[in-house]
Amino acid sequence: MQSPTDVRLIDNPMQPLACSGCAASVLVRKSNWQQTSIQWNETAQKACLERPRSCSGENQTKQFPGCETLAETIRSASLEGTIEVIYRDVPEK
Amino acid sequence: MSIVESDQDQIRQIEAGQTRTRFARGWHCLGLADKYKDGKPHTVKAFGQKLVIFSGSDGAVNVLDAYCRHLGGDLSQGTVKGNEIACPFHDWRWGGDGRCKSVPYARRVPMRARTATWQTLVQDGLLFVWNDPEGNPPPEGVVIPRIEGAEDDGWTDWVWTELVVKTSTREIMDNIVDMAHFFYIHNNFPTYFKNVFEGHTATQYFDGIAREDVTPANPDPKAPKMQKTSSVASYHGPSFMIDDLAYTYETFTMKTVLINAHYPIDEDSFVLMSGIIVEKKPELPGDPDMIASNQAKWILNGFNQDVQIWQNKARVDNPLLCEEDGAVYQIRRWYEQFFVDAAEVTPEMTDRFEHELDTTKPVESWRKQVAENVAARKAAEGQLI
Repeated sequence: MQSPTDVRLIDNPMQPLACSGCAASVLVRKSNWQQTSIQWNETAQKACLERPRSCSGENQTKQFPGCETLAETIRSASLEGTIEVIYRDVPEK
Repeated sequence: MSIVESDQDQIRQIEAGQTRTRFARGWHCLGLADKYKDGKPHTVKAFGQKLVIFSGSDGAVNVLDAYCRHLGGDLSQGTVKGNEIACPFHDWRWGGDGRCKSVPYARRVPMRARTATWQTLVQDGLLFVWNDPEGNPPPEGVVIPRIEGAEDDGWTDWVWTELVVKTSTREIMDNIVDMAHFFYIHNNFPTYFKNVFEGHTATQYFDGIAREDVTPANPDPKAPKMQKTSSVASYHGPSFMIDDLAYTYETFTMKTVLINAHYPIDEDSFVLMSGIIVEKKPELPGDPDMIASNQAKWILNGFNQDVQIWQNKARVDNPLLCEEDGAVYQIRRWYEQFFVDAAEVTPEMTDRFEHELDTTKPVESWRKQVAENVAARKAAEGQLI
């Protein structure tokens, strides 16, 4: 049996994007300027350069809240239009 | 799949699916460890079975199937003798390793006298059991992290609450992604909300502010005002959440740790537990133990607010979501990893997924709602005078 589908993803699926800082390639969905979802896979997780820096030493047990370089890449791609922003007309804060 | 125009007005049907018939693989907290260390056997209904929990003279906490393999006596009605639990029916003695150690009236213990056991962990004052329908021990790295402040003199003791809830555990898991219900059900006011799922952890980052419409209308002007809350809450496995929850006042920050945990009784009911500890600081607005106790009441009240919804709602496998809703499908996909054989866990269930919500529209709408509620309260007070 097929699992039920999130209707939000039928109309606006996630889009592939390569990080500008490393070899990570992820799936991104940008609902508006303030709202982003990111799907990683194992290869991308291993490729991320920021993650080992953020989670090493004293922070070893801390969870990784997210990659800043990737956030910047998503922002640029959204401005350029490579990544669709579903509510593009809602201004950025 | 394409959406045809004529489909747009069709009635959307709720898909309810089937409730699960197996119990999650993972560490489950069974509450405060001290409770089980009183030298008496304890009955716990969990994972669709009856368990006996006891601690013998060696201090180890043991969890066994409650039914004696001899003629089915309930070991949890028995007596702890040395390091063994003695059956009330014929005094058969069972050790923490699940083996029958002696039958006092027999020349020897029969062959294959072994019963089911659950691996235990006592950590930070809490008892955990490892449940795996496949019978394997916990893999390396599948651990419950240590809790800052637990059993620390600089912090209060645990204030613990337990509540039986008659619904599927999936309902409580949905809460970790459901920002809007925190406003409508729990009188919170979220201003920042993000989820990250990865491996066997699922995290919620949540900042909030106090709501004027639910705090006392005429607060003590000398009492410190709480300005914001900041919470990082992670499920470590299917049932144990550690929430580092800080309350920022004008001149100090109150640090607390909140535990939100559950264990299944059977397919349709579970025990929902909360634990709270508060860091002792001279600036606190009152006795730390009293604050912890009040927090516990507040959390329990929050659970009861959820229960009220759960006991009247429908099960929905295909929720209809707006952009301002959270990652409901993705948390369920993450949760699924604990209900399939370890070999059947797919990357989709464990790969990292991040979802940051835009709170602009919700905050705008909620500010308006709060202002209306405050005005209505003032009007009502005016009428009373």
